[in-house]
Amino acid sequence: MPAGIVLAGGRSSRMGTPKAWLDWHGSPLLRRTCGVVARGVSGPVVVVRAPGQELPKLPDGVRVVEDAREGQGPLQGLLAGLEATDGELAFAASTDMPFLHPRFVAAVCAAAEGADAAVPHLGGFRQPLAAAYRTALAPLVGELVDADRMKPAFLFERCETRWLDALPHPESVRNLNAREDYEAAHAEPEPTVRVRCFGPLRRPAQDVRAATLGAAAAAVGVALDAHVLAAINGDQIARDPLEPLAEGDEVAFMAADAGG
Amino acid sequence: MPPGGYFGRALVVDVGDGGSTTLPLEGAVLRATIGGVGLGTYLLSQLAPAGVDPLAPEAPLAFVFSPLVGTPLTTSAKFAVVAKSPLTDRINDALASSHFAIAGKLTGHDAIVVRGASEEPSALIVDGAGARMVAAGDLWGLPAAEAEARLREQLGPAYRVAAIGPAGERLVRYATISHDGRHAGRGGLGAVMGAKRLKAVAVRAATRCPVADPGAVLAASKDLRARSFGPATEKYRDLGTLANLLSFNALSALPGHNFGTETTTLLLEDRAAVRDSCASCSIGCERIMTTRDGRSARVEYESAFALGPLVGIDDPEEVLLASARCDELGLDTISTGGTIAWAMEAGVADWLRFGDANALLRAIELIGAREGVGDLLAEGSRLASDRFGREDLAMHVKGLELPGYEPRTLHSMALGLAVNSRGADHNRSGAYEADLSGELNRLEGGPAHVAAAIETEDRAAAMDSLIFCKFLRGVFDGPWEEWATLLSSVTGWEIDGGELHDTARGIVAAKHAFNRREGWTREEDTLPDRLLDVPLVLPSGREAALSRERLEAMVDDYYRMRGVDLSVHEHNPAEQPWP
Repeated sequence: MPAGIVLAGGRSSRMGTPKAWLDWHGSPLLRRTCGVVARGVSGPVVVVRAPGQELPKLPDGVRVVEDAREGQGPLQGLLAGLEATDGELAFAASTDMPFLHPRFVAAVCAAAEGADAAVPHLGGFRQPLAAAYRTALAPLVGELVDADRMKPAFLFERCETRWLDALPHPESVRNLNAREDYEAAHAEPEPTVRVRCFGPLRRPAQDVRAATLGAAAAAVGVALDAHVLAAINGDQIARDPLEPLAEGDEVAFMAADAGG
Repeated sequence: MPPGGYFGRALVVDVGDGGSTTLPLEGAVLRATIGGVGLGTYLLSQLAPAGVDPLAPEAPLAFVFSPLVGTPLTTSAKFAVVAKSPLTDRINDALASSHFAIAGKLTGHDAIVVRGASEEPSALIVDGAGARMVAAGDLWGLPAAEAEARLREQLGPAYRVAAIGPAGERLVRYATISHDGRHAGRGGLGAVMGAKRLKAVAVRAATRCPVADPGAVLAASKDLRARSFGPATEKYRDLGTLANLLSFNALSALPGHNFGTETTTLLLEDRAAVRDSCASCSIGCERIMTTRDGRSARVEYESAFALGPLVGIDDPEEVLLASARCDELGLDTISTGGTIAWAMEAGVADWLRFGDANALLRAIELIGAREGVGDLLAEGSRLASDRFGREDLAMHVKGLELPGYEPRTLHSMALGLAVNSRGADHNRSGAYEADLSGELNRLEGGPAHVAAAIETEDRAAAMDSLIFCKFLRGVFDGPWEEWATLLSSVTGWEIDGGELHDTARGIVAAKHAFNRREGWTREEDTLPDRLLDVPLVLPSGREAALSRERLEAMVDDYYRMRGVDLSVHEHNPAEQPWP
């Protein structure tokens, strides 16, 4: 079962404000990225932050570790994440990927079978921060960091790397560097999700635009309280209104009491 | 003087000669067992010879009441039937509701135990004149509901009747005991009754049973009734348990096609239905629908699951017909559907295939009559597969067919099903609550899931002994303290939540101890191979797997946390928690 690593420690200098805190349709962007990665990997998620960096509230179970040295680039953060991760494989993402899709994450992880790293190569660009890595690479990454060879390309030279050019939801790799990137992305419609309600909540299925579970509930008039639970695509039970939704998701709301 | 809510005695009747004795129940025993399932386990442990054949005359069958029965506390009009199961060869406790519970208790007994076997079909009458046997040849062969109605015509409407149908008479190993359209359904207790040629038990109230603090009980009853109209019971009041069908489908928790699984489109919740409730119940979860040939069908989730998706049928008309026919014959719908689903997949008969409603109905008839292939299927999936082959497709635990909860996507529940003393059972575990709470990862069972399963099993033991309906559980904010307060008001004991929890643990332990005496081994606490070896692919694309290693680890943790030493293989009478 893969784990997830989200690198939150970047300086956000071009954005002018910490990316982790950027609002994404009611949710801090880091909260969204963590949730999408968690859905895609099915395993634990580690957030790597800069020393002392303040983060928004994250879902229960997300572990936060600190980058040993701030601003040294992605390999430094990746090293901290790989060292903090149990298991054999981890998907690593940057914070600023609001269009990241769980099926993209799962597909990258699945493609890593038999390789040290599986890296998307989309639109002419390599995507090292939307890629899967064997955790056994940690010593090699550490060696590169010690040698001040901080670019991911140095890692790919030294390990069995699988380049991926056909993946579902390729829009996943779109990231936000500058303020205008964020504003343009934020102006786009929220994901379309199908909402179905059962039992006492029953009503006709609806397609709604919603980036979070709470928004989907509100769109169909469901109060997401202690007596209601949700499942996304028949998977984990979700009750956090900030649980991220992605394009094509099916959300089911129902009574929390399941006895029968 | 017995404590409030009790008579301090059980009636023990030999249905062979009609003789009866009174078994005193000391206050310490009642405090340690409460009533219902707890007291029934005690009585079975005391009265059943070790290793007894469940269908032998000397096997006891106990109808057990509780201290809350007869009070105005909502959902408390319930009784437990406890015996050794002919389906599992282990302890079995099945609950049913309504006026039989109240009238039975007010015969002046905390339990009525029958032993022996009559030479001819008979009925047991217990009323103010004591216990007596009457011939029931005219009732033999009738559906339970008809036998119940006819006996009440003969005796008078004040009598309340629990009866078996033709399946119980023919010793179908998953035959039910019925009362007022409700069933003590699981584990074949109807066959135990049938083996005694006891068609019915009729009871009539003859006395009163004071409680220790009537004012407190009345106030608590009003409060509980008000709370029972809140959001925690809305599902049951609105649609009944049928609401689970499509909900569980969306949660990837609804098994289909003998747990090979397919999604379902079966929609029953929107059909016109009459809402009904058990005696003393303010929830009213029951839905009575009409079949296309004009019969009434009291249908709920488990029946719809077992006679619908489990056998590949999505047509609500056919499911209703099958459910109604099971009720008439006196068949447990879960085991009926589970056994037929096995037969469909195993190829027991050419005509018996998934999705064929005519085949389903034909199989039910044959089971009820024990004719043709029905004689094999009447044995349940475990024994039938032992004889026919394809044991790998028999979806049971300890011989009891699985209910409608998919263990691969509900790992707490997977453990609950595996370790439960009566086999694959959803009512004595309830661990699905933890899985669906969102607080645990339901696809990655571990120690937290074990702890949750233990807690829900303890709570079930308490509720089944007090007795309260499980559908009320969501209204209690602090159940142990609240239940202890209620029990104290009824009995006069000063009980706190801690003592009640200890008592519940003792009841769970006593059931395990009985099974150990009857030959239980650790290897029984597992799930069918299919659930351990074949993962499910969820709509999200994720594989949901429950590996053998994971389940084994959880079972080991369960016994460790329960404080059970599995290295001791011999039954030790000193382990009994009874005074």
